[in-house]
Amino acid sequence: MKKKIPGKKLQGFLHILQHILIVSAAIAILFVVTGSSVMIKGVDGNYSYSMDADEKGKVYEDSFLFNHIFGRGVADVARMVAVRSQMETDGRFAGDKEIDVAMFYYRFEGVPDKYVTAKYRLEDLIKWAQYGFEYEEQWMTGEQVDHFLNRMTTYTQINYDSGNLQGKIVTPFNSDIQESTDVYSVSANGLENGETFYRDDTSCKILANRYQTIDGKNIEDYTGTWDDYYKLCEYVENTAAALNDNYQDYSTYNDFYKLKNSNLRYYIIKTIGNRQEVYTNLEAFGLSENEVAQEFNRYGKFLYFSPADMQYTTNTLVNEETVRHIFNSYEYAYPETIKVWIGVDTSYPANDVYIQGLNGYTSYVPYYWQLIGFAATALSAYLILLVCLTFVEGRSLDEEGNPVIRLQKIDFIPTEISVLGTIALIGGIIIALTYIYDSMSFEYYYTTWFKVAAGVVVLVCELLFTEFYYSMVRRLKADNLWPESLTYKGIGKGKKIVWNLYDNGTVIVKTWVPYLLFLAVNYVLFLFEIKGIIIAFCIDMAFGVLIYLNTKNRQRIVDAIEKIKDGELKVKVDETGLHGDNLVLAQAVNSIGEGIRTAVETSMKDERLKADLITNVSHDIKTPLTSIINYVDLIKRENIENEKVKGYVEVLDAKSQRLKQLTDDLVEASKISSGNISLEWERINLVELVNQTIGEFSEKFEQKRLTPILNTPGNMMYIEADSRRIWRVVENLLNNIFKYALEGTRIYMDIAERTGEYGEKYVELAVKNISAQPLNIDADELTERFIRGDVARSTEGSGLGLSIAKNLTEAQKGIFEIQLDGDLFKVILTFPLL
Amino acid sequence: MANILVCDDDKEIVDAIEIYLMQEGYHVLKAYDGEQAIKILKENNVHLLIIDIMMPKLDGIHATLKIREYSSIPIIILSAKSEDSDKILGLNIGADDYVTKPFNPLELVARVKSNLRRYTTLGNLNLENNAIFSAGGLCINDDTKEVTVDGENVKLTPIEYNILLLLVKNQGRVFSIDQIYESIWNEEAIGADNTVAVHIRHIREKIEINPKDPRYLKVIWGVGYKIEKQ
Repeated sequence: MKKKIPGKKLQGFLHILQHILIVSAAIAILFVVTGSSVMIKGVDGNYSYSMDADEKGKVYEDSFLFNHIFGRGVADVARMVAVRSQMETDGRFAGDKEIDVAMFYYRFEGVPDKYVTAKYRLEDLIKWAQYGFEYEEQWMTGEQVDHFLNRMTTYTQINYDSGNLQGKIVTPFNSDIQESTDVYSVSANGLENGETFYRDDTSCKILANRYQTIDGKNIEDYTGTWDDYYKLCEYVENTAAALNDNYQDYSTYNDFYKLKNSNLRYYIIKTIGNRQEVYTNLEAFGLSENEVAQEFNRYGKFLYFSPADMQYTTNTLVNEETVRHIFNSYEYAYPETIKVWIGVDTSYPANDVYIQGLNGYTSYVPYYWQLIGFAATALSAYLILLVCLTFVEGRSLDEEGNPVIRLQKIDFIPTEISVLGTIALIGGIIIALTYIYDSMSFEYYYTTWFKVAAGVVVLVCELLFTEFYYSMVRRLKADNLWPESLTYKGIGKGKKIVWNLYDNGTVIVKTWVPYLLFLAVNYVLFLFEIKGIIIAFCIDMAFGVLIYLNTKNRQRIVDAIEKIKDGELKVKVDETGLHGDNLVLAQAVNSIGEGIRTAVETSMKDERLKADLITNVSHDIKTPLTSIINYVDLIKRENIENEKVKGYVEVLDAKSQRLKQLTDDLVEASKISSGNISLEWERINLVELVNQTIGEFSEKFEQKRLTPILNTPGNMMYIEADSRRIWRVVENLLNNIFKYALEGTRIYMDIAERTGEYGEKYVELAVKNISAQPLNIDADELTERFIRGDVARSTEGSGLGLSIAKNLTEAQKGIFEIQLDGDLFKVILTFPLL
Repeated sequence: MANILVCDDDKEIVDAIEIYLMQEGYHVLKAYDGEQAIKILKENNVHLLIIDIMMPKLDGIHATLKIREYSSIPIIILSAKSEDSDKILGLNIGADDYVTKPFNPLELVARVKSNLRRYTTLGNLNLENNAIFSAGGLCINDDTKEVTVDGENVKLTPIEYNILLLLVKNQGRVFSIDQIYESIWNEEAIGADNTVAVHIRHIREKIEINPKDPRYLKVIWGVGYKIEKQ
């Protein structure tokens, strides 16, 4: 059953929210970036003005934006009026104006001393330029040339000093300006009149005379030499082209700055001599200066510029320097005596550049901080969401409700491909966009679709990124990043192949093939001299590491074998990372160790079961035995006269007592040999212990006339043992002596200090006595269970005493040794000295 | 005379114990499982209980626990279980004594007597005299040089008396052979000697019911001797 994962829906919603956030942040930032500049459709194309956000508090008319637009308006007016003065007479276009081409040509730098010129009508020149100048290639004989060109060139010179041209105006455009000119002719090549002279045959370009001068002449009619001819052609062509350009501007500018099209107002009075020319887009024309000033004061923003009396007034940010510079660049058109009024009607009756600026300004500046704030908020929310979603990403519950990391299909694309793919996709998009952006005209930045497209691009990039990012997060959480990579898989495959070859090969394959390969590689690399030797050195080092690792693994196995040998049966060799012989060895060691461990465990278990069995059986024996002992005792109490019966009862009594002893010993012996006892270690004075024991046995020994003789080097011989168990050992020894020693003999007990092989100290207790019976038995056998010195087993005793003593001694880290020498029975106990 | 309840699932053992106790003049009640024992205890005025552990219906351990809820009569456990852990368990849950099977009938009778004496008479012994030292049922009057165990007089030699007095005066403290020798004989102990050990053994035989499993004079093997603090 598919369990519903809580919060799954919320998580999906948060993901969508994340996308929305980043797109809105991107669009807000875009608004801030594009909004900080405003596009103005100027007279000669579109301009982008940037806005200074710090001007927040200012009204539009005081902003830099407004003043920039105004400044450009001033420049436009200066250019327009210059052009108008070329094209107009009394405020109207005058097509029949005379244009002196040489003077026009030299309008900036001034005319040379003498020059050849011709006068055309303005109209003709403009039309000619629009139609185009056509030249014809011709081969002319000297005679034809002579016929074509004039025999004389007419040069012209302006006499500056003779006229009254005030303000040093050099304008050649106004035909009304009276000039003083000298015209004189120079004979071509300096020939005398009447002389017959033929010029050289020549190949020449002839300009087709589309229009003629106001005198109805052609260009060649003014010139006597080719040099002069071409010069004049250049003058005409150049002037025509310039005038045509100006004519284009004239129409556009005039239209652009028409009163009903523009909020800009200008009024320029040009005074030349005693004549005034007025250029304005106001309807009123012949105003006095005061009236003009009044009129302009009504407009919100204006400037007044009068260079002659060094006056400059304005309420704008445009300074005098700028204005002077603008008008100076049209020096030829403006005498010093001009008076300029330029203003902006800030009631904005016309929908023009100022309105565009105003719209841009009001739609951006007040919202600047809001936009920045919105973008920052959206971005931070995005980041917070990213962190939160990173935290929960991939977490899920399996069917039992345990937390698991759930991977998606995309997470199984190899890591490298995923990384490179994402980088390539996002990088590609960004590079492509940068290219498109760079090659795109800036006007498009202000369009709506540009913002939509940018939003879409950001969304696509972000989607790609988040998919990739969350995939990486899931991989990291599932520890899948490295295992899912191609590198990892490749390494794994390669390793497998090599190890397979190695594992399945024979001894020859395993040793000689790698060795020969190694030699061959070294040899080949040495042929490549120094570089090869360096590589060979690296390979050799790697090989050395490989051999080292192999030997290290081998050492691990050897260590494990050593430990198993020393009884640590639980030791196992870790088989991971082992290959070839090492793996076989490790498996063998593990299985042998396991076998031994099982065997030991089984035997321990058996021993314990046996002990339990014996304990239980002994309990069951004890109950009937109790009755036997009790009733035998009761019989004994009856005063039996019959001596025979009395004897029988004695036997019953003795044997039932022995049976009792036997069961107790049996239980104890089996418990000790199965390791089923717990020891309480104490510091024991062995001398004291032996003395105490002898005291306990004093009566028994007297009974058999046995004399104990104790020899000790001092009163203190400390060992570590369990006091009751060590007492049991000595008790059993003395009991044994009591039972089997020859009556009337001495018992020697010697306590001595011994030094072992490695300098460790031991206490040795040797107990010696003479056996009553011949000891025709092995010393080792005596400590076996149920073995007794007398084969007939007529004496009392279970045959377990020495076995118990031996096992207890060994349990207390002592050594129990029996030596037989004829009838001499000797037991040696050895314990480490404390 | 006192009423003694004997409880064991082995009828013959119960009968044999009855014979021994009757010879001593006790009145014996018999039960063959724990439930029966509890029932009889409620119906009769019983002065002492001898109970086996391994029994049908209700075992001796649980029966003892139940009886201890309302009665403080002496309880002697008589069991074939001879492990130390069994004895410790039995004594901890409220039994006064623990005798293992097969038992010496005389020892059992002695223990019955001892427990009864303590239950009936020794509980209100006056110990105001400074010359009287006691450890459980063991009592020494240094004025009269008399030693009693559960009220019974015990005859000791002067050396034995002095050793016992030393140990009783310093209950719980372990004395090594050398220390005992030096304080009794007032001589320095030279070399190993088992004289003290022999005397101790004699004292044990006189004051203990079972000298191999002493109640008062304990042997700390390899260290020395002490009287258990009671």
